[in-house]
Amino acid sequence: MQRPSPQAVIAASLFAFALIAASVASFAETPQPVAYSHRIHVTDNKIDCRFCHSSANKSASARIPPVEKCMSCHRVIATDRPEIKKIAQYWREKKPIYWNRVTELPDYVYFPHMRMVNAGVPCLTCHPGMDRADGAVQKREFTMGWCMDCHKKRGVSIDCWTCHI
Amino acid sequence: MKRRDFLKLGGATAFAALFGGCDNLPKKLVPFVIPPENYTLGESLWYASVCRQCPAGCGIVVRVSEGRAKKIEGNPLHPVNSGKLCARGQAGLQALYHPERLGRPLKLSGPRGSGKFTETSWEDALSILMTGLKKIRAEAPGSLLMLAEPMRGHRNLVVHRFLRAFGAPAPVAWDPFGHDALLAANEDVFGIRDIPEYDIANARYLLSFSGDFLETWLSPVHYGRAYGRMRQERPTVRGKFVHFGPRLSMTAANADVFLPIAPGTEGFAALGIAHVMVREKLTPSPAASSLWTAGLRQMTPETVGEKTGLRPSDIEAVAREFAGNQPGLAIAGDGAAGCTNGTFHFSAAALLNVLAGNLGKPGGLSFPDRRSAFPRAGADASTLAPLPESGFASVRNTLEKMRGGAFQVALLSGETNPAFTLPAGLKFPESLLSVPLVVSFSSFLDETSSLSDLVLPVPTYLEEWGDDIAPAGHSGDAVGLLQPVIEPFRDARPMPDILIAAAKELGGPVAAALPWKNFRECLEQGYTGMGVNLENARREGGIFSRKGSLSRTAKRAGNPPLPKAIEASYEGDAARYPLVLHVYPSIALSDGRGANLSWLQEMPDPISTAVWRNWVEVHPKTAESLGIADGDGVVVTSPFGSMEAFAVLHPAVAKGTAAMPLGQGHTRYGRNAAGRGGNPFSLLPVKDTAGAKSHARQSTRVSIAKARIKGKLVRTVNVEGQWKYENIL
Ligand code: SF4
Repeated sequence: MQRPSPQAVIAASLFAFALIAASVASFAETPQPVAYSHRIHVTDNKIDCRFCHSSANKSASARIPPVEKCMSCHRVIATDRPEIKKIAQYWREKKPIYWNRVTELPDYVYFPHMRMVNAGVPCLTCHPGMDRADGAVQKREFTMGWCMDCHKKRGVSIDCWTCHI
Repeated sequence: MKRRDFLKLGGATAFAALFGGCDNLPKKLVPFVIPPENYTLGESLWYASVCRQCPAGCGIVVRVSEGRAKKIEGNPLHPVNSGKLCARGQAGLQALYHPERLGRPLKLSGPRGSGKFTETSWEDALSILMTGLKKIRAEAPGSLLMLAEPMRGHRNLVVHRFLRAFGAPAPVAWDPFGHDALLAANEDVFGIRDIPEYDIANARYLLSFSGDFLETWLSPVHYGRAYGRMRQERPTVRGKFVHFGPRLSMTAANADVFLPIAPGTEGFAALGIAHVMVREKLTPSPAASSLWTAGLRQMTPETVGEKTGLRPSDIEAVAREFAGNQPGLAIAGDGAAGCTNGTFHFSAAALLNVLAGNLGKPGGLSFPDRRSAFPRAGADASTLAPLPESGFASVRNTLEKMRGGAFQVALLSGETNPAFTLPAGLKFPESLLSVPLVVSFSSFLDETSSLSDLVLPVPTYLEEWGDDIAPAGHSGDAVGLLQPVIEPFRDARPMPDILIAAAKELGGPVAAALPWKNFRECLEQGYTGMGVNLENARREGGIFSRKGSLSRTAKRAGNPPLPKAIEASYEGDAARYPLVLHVYPSIALSDGRGANLSWLQEMPDPISTAVWRNWVEVHPKTAESLGIADGDGVVVTSPFGSMEAFAVLHPAVAKGTAAMPLGQGHTRYGRNAAGRGGNPFSLLPVKDTAGAKSHARQSTRVSIAKARIKGKLVRTVNVEGQWKYENIL
């Protein structure tokens, strides 16, 4: 058998390094244009996740709230805070907020939020720690094995085509 | 390359893809500022509405997702198209999202007709319009002119009421492919001036005289569907279709038998068939004996054969088959309507229907009462469902008056684009420029709207409220309803809304004639007054009662006169202009309104397979005598103008004929329409169809000469090449 060439070894190790770096990075908090805190909204003020992510039970996507939704409360609440002023500025200019994406699944995975939510899976099962995070974090790596475990435990479909379409 | 090197290279690519890919992922999440009503991310909504890409009035459903219209399909509940849609209908999305669509009012900033405009505010634009209207309101209300495409439904009602209350003449409508000849012929033969319902689906034998009913004529999706059912729906019968015409159209190509005839002889072919049917007593019609006059006796297969170029034996065979396969249906279409003797062609085809005993029977034709949908509309019913006329005669009169200074203010509306579709001899641009104030309601700058002082942007049909009564394809009781499928994203205002607002400001009888807050309220009052549950109706896309046929009886069906045989006449001296020009509406661009949509431009013509350019079809023998080869650049010249095109040699075009699609040749219709060759409308004479007063398109001769032209004709497939024997064997 031939030994792998030095180039191939370097390429492989760089590849592994890049993967590790990417997954570690995703566990850190991503900076956002507005320093939104899940902790203040969910833990301190007991707002249900689905108040803002309002299509989680209706559609594949949970939905990021429109600026209008933020303003429906912050027209009167905490209007003097710098971060709220920022949102008010977006609203005045009628500009959308360009949030940085935190969680992403590959294209070949079909993940419908409404299936899970309507089956009674709490949001925090897959997004642990979100209720206490200042910002948005991804604490759990969405690996296939992890999904399968849960599907098996709950006795729901583990057919390939359930998720890979 | 060695396998190892290849793998190494592969590794490098994967590596690059990993990092490059990371950067290219859509990293931003951009929510709406204010989401549209009813909106759930990732979920589509389907809204029912009506297609307005041509006058057929098909029903559509539009898929809307994330507040954007994504796809248009046919509305399965709509009787006209039962769920199907043509390419032009599909391209409606491109009109909606067109980058050249007007989003702000435009004010002239150079000399009139220069096409130089600057954007202005709605307040400013409307004040110009109102100043103009108020100025003539007191002294000369009759000098207000509205020129539009033929409108239907409450839109037409608003316009009519506005003008009547203002004291202005009724709106002048122009449709280059109106159905005047068909209407006139039906009046002659059946005593009813209306469009019949042709029950193609149940016919056993269909004769067409240049009736391109699968492409553009009257209601192509409806008839296309009916044709499919005629061929395949019945277990034991496969209807037969015979097409006569000077050119192999797509419809002709779908026929069992295509019999090429000389241009302008469709009516003679029909009379030849009638002759054989009466002579051989093949007809059940009691009218037969009284029809056996000298006029019909003359039309022997031999005489007709000489005129049309048909073999007498073919005429006899078709006549016997037609008579032996009841119900048989005969139709004539656009290709025949444009001849100077167009009415004769239609009358002759109608006569065949009488001889076949077809009136009011399944597989035949009937005359539904289209106004019965509006039992309580009274005098307004005729403005809700007007006859599909071309309006050529009134346009001509109007232009004459215009040049005489009769009009102070002209309002232009609609898709017809008269500056492009009227023959140059009518001097439309010059006449319009003599009107002191011209205001266009338009979504795009085209040849016509660029001639105005002020262009008011209007929404496309996908963002409007409205209603529509299709001219064919239902038993007279179907009303389509339009609704906006997305929130407007341009600063456009619907034309009826502008008129209603203007009426308010004018006050007095004009305000009283249009008492609504806006057009939507006008519609809603109209239909709730008829006891319609509008919410349900909008969900279905309209009001389709499916009561079955509401046929009127024809006054004269039993005993029609023999149509008077008239020869087609052509302008131009045969020695100088050796070819007869046969123009036809393009299946993709119709009268030219689709030319700014790239989907339609790149849709290959079904026969020539050409894209993006203009061409002229000639018979290879004719081309040989002119020294022209396939793909050559040519200049086509008529006594009235000349234009550039590419030659397409085609064995199924009548000899001595030059056939050309209409629709290309725009000078001011955006970048997709620019530089596509000449405009065949510019070659046409100002001439009437006898007895119908529509524009006789097929009435000039042309000459063709080789010329240097920029670019070349691109064809997606070389059909003729595939037909060569060496390619088949
Ligand atoms: S036939 Fe006319 S109305 Fe019907 S889909 Fe095509 S363009 Fe639209």
